[in-house]
Amino acid sequence: MSRLFDFAGGTGMGYSQPEPLLPKTSIALPPSLSRKELPRWPRLSEPEMVRHYTWLSRRNFGIDTGFYPLGSCTMKHNPRVNEVIAQLPGIADIHPHQPEHHLQGLLSIFHEMQHMLAICSGMDAVTLQPVAGAQGEFTAVRCVQEYFRNRGETQRTKVIVPDSAHGTNPASAAMAGYDIVEIPSLENGRIDLDALRAVIDDTVALMMITNPNTLGLFETDVPEAAEIVHAAGGQMYYDGANFNAILGRTSPGLMGFDAVHFNLHKTFSQPHGGGGPGSGPIGVKSHLADFLPSPIVKKRPIASGEEQFAVDDMWYSWYVPQHTIGKVQQWHGNAGAVVRCWAYYRRYGYGLKDMSEHAVLNANYLRHALHREAALAGVSHMFVDGADAEVAKHEFTLSLQPAKEAVGVSAMDVAKGLLDMGYMAPTVYFPLVVPECMMFEPTETESRDTLDKFAKDFVKVLQIDAETLHAAPITTPVRRVDEVYAARNLCLKHPFDEE
Amino acid sequence: MVDQLPNRGLELEMLHEMGFSSIDDLFSDLPEHVRMNEPLPLPPPQSEEEIIADARRLLGANRAMGDVVSFIGAGIYRNYVPSSVFQLVTRGEFLTSYTPYQPEVSQGMLQAMWEFQTLISELVGLPIANLSLYDGSTAAAEALTCVVRVHNRKATQKDTVYISELVPPDRMSVMYNYCQGAGITLKILKHNSDGTLDLASVKDAEGSCGVYVEQPNPLGILDGGLTQIKEIIGENTALIVGIQPVSLGLVEAPGNYGADIVVGEGQPLGSPPTGGGPIYGIFACSNPYLRLMPGRIVGKSIDVDGKEAYCLTLSTREQHIRRHRATSNICTNETLIALMGAMHMSLLGPEGLEHLAIRNMAACTIAKQKLSEIAGISLPHVASSHFNEFVVELPKSAADCLNYLDSVGIIGGFDLSRWYPNHSNWLLVSVTDQTKAAEIELLAAHIAVWSTLKEAVI
Repeated sequence: MSRLFDFAGGTGMGYSQPEPLLPKTSIALPPSLSRKELPRWPRLSEPEMVRHYTWLSRRNFGIDTGFYPLGSCTMKHNPRVNEVIAQLPGIADIHPHQPEHHLQGLLSIFHEMQHMLAICSGMDAVTLQPVAGAQGEFTAVRCVQEYFRNRGETQRTKVIVPDSAHGTNPASAAMAGYDIVEIPSLENGRIDLDALRAVIDDTVALMMITNPNTLGLFETDVPEAAEIVHAAGGQMYYDGANFNAILGRTSPGLMGFDAVHFNLHKTFSQPHGGGGPGSGPIGVKSHLADFLPSPIVKKRPIASGEEQFAVDDMWYSWYVPQHTIGKVQQWHGNAGAVVRCWAYYRRYGYGLKDMSEHAVLNANYLRHALHREAALAGVSHMFVDGADAEVAKHEFTLSLQPAKEAVGVSAMDVAKGLLDMGYMAPTVYFPLVVPECMMFEPTETESRDTLDKFAKDFVKVLQIDAETLHAAPITTPVRRVDEVYAARNLCLKHPFDEE
Repeated sequence: MVDQLPNRGLELEMLHEMGFSSIDDLFSDLPEHVRMNEPLPLPPPQSEEEIIADARRLLGANRAMGDVVSFIGAGIYRNYVPSSVFQLVTRGEFLTSYTPYQPEVSQGMLQAMWEFQTLISELVGLPIANLSLYDGSTAAAEALTCVVRVHNRKATQKDTVYISELVPPDRMSVMYNYCQGAGITLKILKHNSDGTLDLASVKDAEGSCGVYVEQPNPLGILDGGLTQIKEIIGENTALIVGIQPVSLGLVEAPGNYGADIVVGEGQPLGSPPTGGGPIYGIFACSNPYLRLMPGRIVGKSIDVDGKEAYCLTLSTREQHIRRHRATSNICTNETLIALMGAMHMSLLGPEGLEHLAIRNMAACTIAKQKLSEIAGISLPHVASSHFNEFVVELPKSAADCLNYLDSVGIIGGFDLSRWYPNHSNWLLVSVTDQTKAAEIELLAAHIAVWSTLKEAVI
């Protein structure tokens, strides 16, 4: 083990600094604010620090380590040029309060991203403010809320969310103050139009839905759902978590949505960084555009005197809509993530359609290969499709319920077995509508060879006897972690000696 | 041609094996009327070389702070991030991982975040820290909803929190957006003319759910009076303090003067300014807030062999379990940036942090001295101690001064009329450990010249 606080008694200083312009004795501080004891931070030299974090990194699994079919998270390859670009001083070393003429390059990139996202989504206006998908949801819900307040429709106090939705949907709507109406899905997680009709009335502000749905199926009834909601005066919200499946093939605008968020970190490959940062811009139809938060960038041809700062003979300006909801993050959103995603988008251009097609191709191929290998090995009886559909989109589910009933092996057991085979496990136990669910999302950046090999290895895991599999994983840095122990014996920081 | 698709050229083989004849078959479930039949009206794909050339051209058109002389701060600060931080944080195992849902293969990030929690806990003097929120503003906003959840039952001023009137409008706006849905009323705490908090107005907050103040405050003032707030408001009203983390190398940890929650912009520790994001929000609290706090938390546990192991814990507060009853909607956070913070803190060590704080305050002390010597210019809060920044009252508008300074290659500070419309002549001058003595001289010299100009610069 390498533990950071084992260096607490060390003498190292990781990097030397220039001397202060004045000694400490020349600095005046109110006596009541003078810090009595410095934090008990460790003291590491640079070589010790580098070795510690390198050691930690080797105990962590990323896309670079191996196949990462974590459903719903779109774990595609992160091109390294994006990291090089994000460290250029023109993005890393700029301040959000610098005047517009200092930031024309950044604003032009923002403008290009707004334009691209509007085109791909069929929306009229885009803001790059929200910094994560959930914050995008919240921002859009707030825009819809202000839209209705502005119209005097304050009786609209409800948001409809299908029971198969991501947890962020109801959480975001509740944060804005809405009552959540959860409607059950049909088999395959599909939207139940009758259930929708039963709850829709003029107290509904919004329906939130993702398409393809969380089972990876395209919801053909969404346009009709949109008609039902719109007829009652409500708005339709598209959760862009699964946007990677449809670029260039359809759009939320074509499906009848009024607002959408994009998970740039998923679709446009901002590295997920162990849990963030992300970027969650939103797009809206024109009737909601006036409520968006900044940053929004507008452009015009340059005027005289502006040449020295301008790029491409255009002048870019920040724009704040008249009825803006205000800010949901204090600055210009995650500008660094937007720049990385811009670089990713530039790699594809109009070929974004190819990206989605290959994501869908790979998902369907993996589903096919899993069934193929299971049949060859005689273990077809161990799982069934989570949803009964001829084609999946960018992800699909399997139910391990048959394995559970036949041999007592759970989806979690199989997940842990896959870790031993050198893979990240698929998402397990989501969505809840599929018993013993495993959700696979291979993404477009995996080769056929990888998919074939994974399918073979998956089947090998299914052939392991239950007792052995209950004990998996055995090759990982630690074995099954006791989450109940963690919750009952809370240890949320280093205890130090005296505590 | 797009180079990110390993199965380019294998499409038909793969399709045929599945019994399909074309990619269109995979989209046959899309109803006709929602299909996009035209190609996306976007430019052609680019090679890596073309993209990086264009990135250099466009981002090169920005004025990086390092290329000019900069005195702009107001919440985001110029800093130095040691090279090893960048080298380590871009290791693929960290960079390309996601939320550690499978702890057995995520021990590296989990342990790093548990260590981050400890580093933050020590820094601010509170026992619990989460592994980051989006930024300082959302951390502050989440703190407000958190204290209402905890204290509302006993509060005599229900659903009410008090906030320093100095809080910048954009930060206040985030707070409003996060609070309005819960029906929380934001009331204002007044300040004295010397920029310190009016402790008499804090009395009004008694019986409310919480008080939010900042140390240093948005005018850069280190306000000793904040140490008395907790005594005034009592046990049933939370004290939330927003901090600049580097200042805590010299300034008392708020947990040691009664803060129940500490939040702040983590950026100066570990993250370049990056136009304001991605950065990370600090959130730390005392025990009563633990089960109603937002964000992810790592706990130390054991594996089946009894070996030390880490995992996410207290997840039942979170959206993926609790859905609309979650304490926050946050899912993706700023883990990787928090990791940069942890790496920077590890390299600094306690004495390094103190040294860094001294460098910041020393530069600030010199800048105050130099600027106060200019005829016609005054420092309205000159008697106070400042960290990072202070107000300069100019004889003419700050906007005009900034235009002049810009024309000579200096970002002179922040025009405070953007926050406080009544103060059009107030310039917020920020200095950090990166500020050189010669740069301060240069600023003072140019402000002196500008102050004698009869005509407006624009």
